[in-house]
Amino acid sequence: MSARLEVVDLSVGFRTRRGIVQALTQVSVSVAPGERLLVVGESGSGKTVLAHALLALLPHNVDISGAIRLGDQALLELSPAELRRTRARRMALIPQSPASALNSVRRLGGQLVEAARARGLSEADARRRLRELLAELDLDLDAVGGRYVHQLSGGMQQRIVNAMALVGEPDIVIADEPTSGLDSDLVDTTAAQLRAISARGASLLVITHDLRLAERLGGRLALLYASRIVELGPTAAFFQAPSHPYGRELLRALPEREGKSIPGMSPQLTALPSHCAFADRCPDRFDRCGEAIPDLYPDPGGALARCFLHAAG
Amino acid sequence: MLKLIARRLALLPLILLAVAAITFALTEISPFDPVDAYVGAESGVTPERKAEIAHARGFDQPLHERFGRWVANVAQGDLGTSVVAGGQPVAGEIAARMSASIALVGGALVLVLVGGLVFGVLAAALRGTFFDWLVRTLCYFNTAAPSFWVGLLALYVFSIELGWLPAGGTSDPRAVESGGIDLSHLILPMVVLAMTQYAWFTLFVRNTLLEVLREDHVQFARAQGIGEVAVLLRYALPNALIPFVTLVGTHLSELIGGTILVEAIFGWPGLGGLTLDAALGEDIPLLLGITLCASVLVVLGNLLADVLYRVMDPRVREAAT
Amino acid sequence: MSAGGALGASLPVGGRRMADAVRRWPVSMQVAAGVLAVLVVVALLANVIAPLDDAAVDLDRVLEGPSAAHPMGTDEVGRDLLVRVLHGVRISLGIAALAALGAVAVGALVGVLAGTLGGRADAVVMRVTDVFASQNHLLFGILLLVLFRPALGGAGAVMLAIALTHWPTLARIVRGELMSLRERPFVAAAVGGGASRRRLARRHYVPHLLPAVGLAFVLTVAHAIFHESAYSFLGLGLPAHQASLGNILNDGQRSLLAGGWWIALFPGLAILAAAMTIGTIAEHWREHLHPRWRSELEL
Repeated sequence: MSARLEVVDLSVGFRTRRGIVQALTQVSVSVAPGERLLVVGESGSGKTVLAHALLALLPHNVDISGAIRLGDQALLELSPAELRRTRARRMALIPQSPASALNSVRRLGGQLVEAARARGLSEADARRRLRELLAELDLDLDAVGGRYVHQLSGGMQQRIVNAMALVGEPDIVIADEPTSGLDSDLVDTTAAQLRAISARGASLLVITHDLRLAERLGGRLALLYASRIVELGPTAAFFQAPSHPYGRELLRALPEREGKSIPGMSPQLTALPSHCAFADRCPDRFDRCGEAIPDLYPDPGGALARCFLHAAG
Repeated sequence: MLKLIARRLALLPLILLAVAAITFALTEISPFDPVDAYVGAESGVTPERKAEIAHARGFDQPLHERFGRWVANVAQGDLGTSVVAGGQPVAGEIAARMSASIALVGGALVLVLVGGLVFGVLAAALRGTFFDWLVRTLCYFNTAAPSFWVGLLALYVFSIELGWLPAGGTSDPRAVESGGIDLSHLILPMVVLAMTQYAWFTLFVRNTLLEVLREDHVQFARAQGIGEVAVLLRYALPNALIPFVTLVGTHLSELIGGTILVEAIFGWPGLGGLTLDAALGEDIPLLLGITLCASVLVVLGNLLADVLYRVMDPRVREAAT
Repeated sequence: MSAGGALGASLPVGGRRMADAVRRWPVSMQVAAGVLAVLVVVALLANVIAPLDDAAVDLDRVLEGPSAAHPMGTDEVGRDLLVRVLHGVRISLGIAALAALGAVAVGALVGVLAGTLGGRADAVVMRVTDVFASQNHLLFGILLLVLFRPALGGAGAVMLAIALTHWPTLARIVRGELMSLRERPFVAAAVGGGASRRRLARRHYVPHLLPAVGLAFVLTVAHAIFHESAYSFLGLGLPAHQASLGNILNDGQRSLLAGGWWIALFPGLAILAAAMTIGTIAEHWREHLHPRWRSELEL
């Protein structure tokens, strides 16, 4: 079963002692079955919050508005019990750090089976499915089942976690920073694994700050800056000719391109400006940029960019 | 693992030797006169008679000889003779009273573990609610309130006022078999002793559980749709209990102190009461014997904690092998 | 900056600065400090506010419950319990403070010894410290009481017992802090500048040690109150004419059967108040302290 994920005008703010930390502001994206969407941004731009919001794993001190729809279910309107069922049956998370995401004092076999059973599989089915999945990933359930996390290499841990994500045949897979902590030569392998996942028919949402991974994954790309989406369009088009100045500067900052880092710092999420958030660092800034927040305007290539440069007129 | 146990057990005699040496040194430094203690309140004991007693009991020999002789005796199981018990062997006195203390401490430990787990888990699960606040406040009062004061109040309320439970001793002296331990007599002292340790354990379970609940693997389990109760009991609690084991060793020695006070209030004939009798009778050999036994208990307790820790945490087990 | 200057910056001097600091404390801390202040005042002025004559034996008024005339009731020989408790607070707090000071003195001495000697001597000293630390406080304390009470008297023996059972914590703190201080650059600079050992100690070490040692002292006072009461309750501590709260609780135990619950209740409440206020203040203080010493200073 597969379904389309629609996020409409999602805003997430955290109530803290320092004030409200606005992690996401009116974010709207969608991912069709079999499609790949990459959410790209710096650390602290709100990307992980999006993953947690989708999985309903946010803490109690949040203000959420907007809508999240998975197929015909409006996730933000579900009760906690229904949310848990939806999370179990239709969604899967590939966590950032498999080593700490797996319980270090329990054997892996138990955790794998428990994950599968949480998705609704019977004990027998769970073992069968896990055995198949792990075999595809070059692992043997019996060999790995008796081990503990710390006895496995990073690559093996990653594959275990991938298997746990796929065992329930979810509608959507969310990968949170899949290359964090990995050597750069593993980027290709990771990209291949993720492409294989979306080839099975699920929607794939990949959250990353690794531009090299993004380039290899293709699909569509949403660029986050200061809690808003500033660019949304095909990944290939982004890497060829980014529409938003921030995207352009990001690519220029890559070592394999110019290696020129962007001056200044991104604004604090507790004190977002009421004009274009990138204006202070933008080489193409003009008067209007300091007066209001731009909407997402289509650029000639069809991508959307939150920049007055593309505003009609 | 076996090497660890063997190494620790080999150290035990050295530790006991150190304890004994320190105690002997203190006895030497102090103006305490064992002859005076032996003679007691009798006045009119002549200096010659005192010298006779001193010689007969070996008090007039130099320190290192006395110590050496004592160590040799202990190695053979002879802890000296008790003044209070009129010359009976110290080891015998201790052995006779041990079972009563074991019953008391054993029961109290069970109460602490069960009560602490239940209330600690509930307080963590219901964090921020009134129940959680109640548990924390009661624990806080518990740590600040002197155990013997609580014991007195408990004795008054439950035994004297309400008459629900007996006031002391192990059994009704009027009953036909008044040698054994009557359970109803065990309840109050056991509960009061449990209360000396209950607070830290409950708070520890609660706080560690809350920390563990914030860890990645718990979030990941939730992300997979595993229910909150299962997460709490299978992903959080086992991890939280591992560090607890290491603390058991240190707190075991505090339980020993607790029995002294509890047995004094409830007239429980265990080693705590024996300690008090020994102190009031200025019976140094008996006190020394009890101190040594307590040291053995502490060392064994720490060893048990280390072994359990290795058994429970596979990461540590790996590093060891 | 001189040592006095460094200290001065951390302690509010002058009434207004102090008042501002107090106002910024959380409510629980303000209440605790207030109650503790009352207890300390009582301790200092007990002889003035409630002279012992008021607690004269009055066999007409034996074991009367709390009333207007005697807010805490009377004991088994008719003495007013409130007066006895006020004096008990004086004695208990006084003995506890002195005993804690003794623990700090011994601990600091041993800690300095170990910290400055280093090497094998340090290892030996620390093993000895471990042996002392592994002993149960009450049990070991009782042994010490029996040994030293004939010569030092009840009060002296109790203070010694508490000092000799509580010094290991302080020794560890002092030694640890010294060892880390020796590595610090400013010490090397001072030594390079020709500072003598004593000057180093006074100007550099002491200001760094004071906060942790100060907090440890406060916590030891709380422990000392408990231990002194326990020893006196068991009849091994202070003599009857110097009745501490523990002694009164001992009387309370005997009068329970006759129904005199107030004699057991009120002295304990006083101990509870002292322990809770000190504990609250110490907890808040500990939050602001260097994380390294937090585990050593667990209540």
